[in-house]
Amino acid sequence: MSEIAGRLFSWVNDRLPIVNTFERHLSKHPVPSKVNFWYLFGALAAVTLIIQIVTGIWLIMPYSNTEEQAFSSIEYIMRDVDYGWVIRYMHTTGASLFFAVVYLHMFRGLLYGSYQKPKELVWIFGCTIYVAMMAEGFLGYVLPYGQMSYWGAQVIISLFGAIPYVGESLELWVRGDYYISGITVSRFFALHVVALPLVLIALVFLHLVALHEVGAGNPEGVDIEKYLDDDGIPLDSVPFFPYKVLNALVAIGVFGIVFSVIMFFFPEGGGYFIEMANFEKANPLVTPDHIAPVWYYAPFYTMLRAVPDPLGGLIVMAAAVAIFFIVPWLDNSKVASIRYKGIYSKVAITLFGVSFLTLGYLGTVGVTEIRKTMSVVCTIIYFAYFLLMPIYTKLETTKVVPERL
Amino acid sequence: MIFLHKEIINFHKIILFIFFILFTYDLNGAAGGACKDYGDCDKFDYSLNDIESLQRGASTYINYCYGCHSLQYSRWGRVANDLQIPEDIFFENLVFDKSIKPGDLMTGAMPEDSANWFGVAPPDLTLVSRYKGDDWIYSYLRAYYEDSSKQYGVNNLVYPGTAMPNVLLALQGNQKLVCKDIPMIAANGGQKRDEYGNDVLKEKCGFLEVEEGTGKLTKEEFDDLIYDLTNFLVYVGEPIKATRERLGWYVIFYFLIFTALSSLLYREFHKDYNK
Repeated sequence: MSEIAGRLFSWVNDRLPIVNTFERHLSKHPVPSKVNFWYLFGALAAVTLIIQIVTGIWLIMPYSNTEEQAFSSIEYIMRDVDYGWVIRYMHTTGASLFFAVVYLHMFRGLLYGSYQKPKELVWIFGCTIYVAMMAEGFLGYVLPYGQMSYWGAQVIISLFGAIPYVGESLELWVRGDYYISGITVSRFFALHVVALPLVLIALVFLHLVALHEVGAGNPEGVDIEKYLDDDGIPLDSVPFFPYKVLNALVAIGVFGIVFSVIMFFFPEGGGYFIEMANFEKANPLVTPDHIAPVWYYAPFYTMLRAVPDPLGGLIVMAAAVAIFFIVPWLDNSKVASIRYKGIYSKVAITLFGVSFLTLGYLGTVGVTEIRKTMSVVCTIIYFAYFLLMPIYTKLETTKVVPERL
Repeated sequence: MIFLHKEIINFHKIILFIFFILFTYDLNGAAGGACKDYGDCDKFDYSLNDIESLQRGASTYINYCYGCHSLQYSRWGRVANDLQIPEDIFFENLVFDKSIKPGDLMTGAMPEDSANWFGVAPPDLTLVSRYKGDDWIYSYLRAYYEDSSKQYGVNNLVYPGTAMPNVLLALQGNQKLVCKDIPMIAANGGQKRDEYGNDVLKEKCGFLEVEEGTGKLTKEEFDDLIYDLTNFLVYVGEPIKATRERLGWYVIFYFLIFTALSSLLYREFHKDYNK
C-alpha cells in the first residue's frame, strides 16, 4: 500500500515541484533565529485572511444582496441558519482583528526598518494590501444595509464628489444611482466577494514571494547573510519549518483566545466592531445623530474632518495612506532597527504612535472645539513623522549594530 | 549634542503629558446622559438563563406591545421553544390568530395606515435592544409622566416628545413630575446646616413620582414587570445570546489547551538551536 502511495507521489512530484517548493519555501528556507513577538503578526494576518475567506464563502450562501432583503437576510443568518451566528460573528470579529493585526504588523515594519533596502518591494506590496483591505472593509460594511452602512457609504462616496470637474459624475458612477440603493448594494457585493478578494490574494502572494527572495528581517537589524556556514546557510538562521511554524502555532493559540473572548462575549466590541445604529435597517429619511466610522478607519476620518475644505480633507486623508509607500526613501538612517537608531527617531516614533491612537479615538466621538484642535495637532505630528524623517534620521547619532544576531 | 538630547526627551514628555491632560478633560466633558432629560440611563443586567422572567416578559410583550409592535425577524415556534413553553400551551394562550403556524414570523397585527394614528408607524422591536440598548429600554418604559400638553396626555423623560402613549398606565398608575426639597451638601462633604443646626434644603424639580393608589401594581412590582419585559427584548434581539456565552467558555478552554500544547512543542524544538 505504502509502496503504491510512494510511487504515486513520485509520479506527481516528477511533474509538479512539490518537494522542491516545500524545501525552498519551508523546510530549507532560512529565517533569523532570534526574533521577538512583533514578528508573529504577519502569520496572524495570514490566518485572519483565511478566516475571512472561509466564513465569507459561507455567508454568501444565505445572504441576499437586494435592497429589500439585505438587512433581513442578516437576521435570517443570525436566527434561522444553523450556527449562522458563529459564521457571521467570526466574519465581523475577524474584520476588526485583521486590521488590528495588520496595524501591529505595519508598526513592526516602522520599528525595525522592515522597508529598508532590499525590502522596498515587500513593503510596497504590503502597503497595497492595506489599501485593498480598506476598500474591502468599507464595501463589506455596506452589505448588512443597516443605518450605519447606509450613512457611512453616503459620507464616503460623497468624498468623490469633492474632486474637481469629474467629481459628481464619478460619484454617480460609483454609486450606480442618484442615492445609495439596491444597485449600490449589489455592485458592492460583487466587488467585496469576488474582485477585491482576488486582488488581495494576488497581493499577499507577491508580498510573500518578494519576502522569500530578500529574506526576513530581525529586531537587531543584523544582516544574517554575512556569516554563512560551509553549505552557504546563514549561521544565525533556522529553517522556517518546523521552528517558526511552531512559533506561529503558539501565537495562533493566543490569538484564538483573544478572538473567542471578543466573538463570544463582546461581538459588538462595545459598538466599535459592530455599531449599534447598524442594527436598524437603512432609512434614507432619518440621519443618525452621530455618524462614526468603524474604529479602523477612525484615524483617517479624523484627518478628513480636521480640514475644513472637503477637497483638502480628501487630499490629506489620501496622503496619510499614500505616504506609507515612500517610507523606504524617507529613511536615511544607516541602521534598520529602532534599537540602534538615535534619540530623534525614538521620540518621533513615540509621538507618531500616540498621535495615531489619539486620531483614532477622536474619529469615534463627536466634534468639540478642543477635539478639533487636538485633531489638527495630531494630523501635523502624523505627517511630521514621515516628512521630517529624511532630516532626523540623517542628523542623529546611531549606535553600532553587532555583527551577529 | 547630549544637552539637546535631554531637551528633546523633556519635550517629548511634555507633549505626552499634554495629551494625557486633554484626554482626562475630554472624557470628563463627554459624560452626558444617553437618556436625555432622565440623565444617565438606569443600569440593566440581563439574565437570559432566568426562563421564568423571559416567559413573563414574553407574556407582557404579547399582551401589551405586540398589538402595535411586530417582531418580524423572530418566529413564534422559536420563542415557545427557547422559553421552554410547551407549544400547545403557548399557542392556546399567547397566539390570538389561530391561523398562525410555529414557523411563521411574528409580523404583527397592525394595519398599514397606522402611521396616521400616531404620526409615525410603530417600529418593529426585534432589534430594539441592540440599537437602543437594554439600559435605554428599561429607563424609557419607566420614565413616562403626565403632560396634558401632549396628544395622549403623557410625555417621557428618556424620549421627550415620544409618539407612544403610556400603554402600561393602568398598571403603573399616574406618574407625575414633582419638585422636592433636597438637602444640600456642605463643602466638607457632610450635611449642610444653617447656624441653628437645621438642614439647608434646596428645591429641585424633575423627579418622577406615582400618585398613590392609581395603579394596579406597586412601584416594585412595576419595576419587576419592566425588568422581565426588557429581559425578553434582550432575548429576542439575539436569541442565541445565552448559547453564545455558554459556548464561548468551551472554545476558550480549547484554545488554552491548544496554546499550552503548542508552546510545549515549540520549547522542545527550540532546544535544537538555542543550547
